[in-house]
Amino acid sequence: METATLEKILEEHALFRGMKEQYLRTLVESSTVVRFEPGDVIFEEGEPAHHSYLIRTGKVALQLVSYRVEPFTLMTLEEGDIVGWSWLFPPYRWKFTAKALSVVRAFSLDGRSVCARCDEDHDLGYELMKRFAQIIENRVEALSVHLVAIEK
Amino acid sequence: METLQGILSAHPFFNDLPTPHIETITGCVSNVRFKAGDVIFREGEEANHFYLIREGKVALRIHSERRGPLTILTLGAGDILGWSWLFPPYRWKFSARAIEDTRAFAADGKCLREKAERDHDLGYELLMRFAHVVEERLEATRLQLLNVYQDQ
Repeated sequence: METATLEKILEEHALFRGMKEQYLRTLVESSTVVRFEPGDVIFEEGEPAHHSYLIRTGKVALQLVSYRVEPFTLMTLEEGDIVGWSWLFPPYRWKFTAKALSVVRAFSLDGRSVCARCDEDHDLGYELMKRFAQIIENRVEALSVHLVAIEK
Repeated sequence: METLQGILSAHPFFNDLPTPHIETITGCVSNVRFKAGDVIFREGEEANHFYLIREGKVALRIHSERRGPLTILTLGAGDILGWSWLFPPYRWKFSARAIEDTRAFAADGKCLREKAERDHDLGYELLMRFAHVVEERLEATRLQLLNVYQDQ
């Protein structure tokens, strides 16, 4: 895909709206276009985490699999959502399993490359972390709501 | 006598934070006390502070439609309480209530947030640290949830 097109699509992505053009360009340089078929495992709980996925179309189930016979779906993510942030913190392993529920078209963002850019440029780091922190907070909230629902 | 700045820079949370940033944070911190039973902050309200607990115990709770407030975690001396002041939508996702008489340092997050918005070096350092707190909370909740499933 043309870099300019990718940049345009990123710019329209909810997470990156309002971001400076130079940062979008940086992100585009760390992105590739990927596609998953229904049933594909995008990443698996416990495996090394390297990427974030920006969903363009399709649905992804975020699941907890450990210790369970049946995987538990914490939430379903779709167009405009981001899946995956575990490359941000040690031990850099996925906390969840992500599974495509339909054909999924996404951008794959190379976490290590993004991290390196953020360390060099704290303006970019600030803008990105503000966004990723919200994603992690959203997951804690979902887990907590589920926990109290089943525990008592 | 130990200075406030000395206490903050010795805390693992502020490990390796450049001195000017420590000074900025120190300028936003005050001593607070809560009596057992006091509400420190409420879910849904605007989040403007974070706390470094020095003594006592604080319950982090979420509201369940069916069962009222339910405790998801108890924090004690040395723990950091509150991250929602740092990123949109700047509202508490949980409530916090002192379950023992508690002494803490309260930092004016609104003041820090404005400084972070102007100084992205400070902003990036704060976001990385607080996102990590959120991530640790996520991991704790995730393990709790897996334990519940294991026992079932």
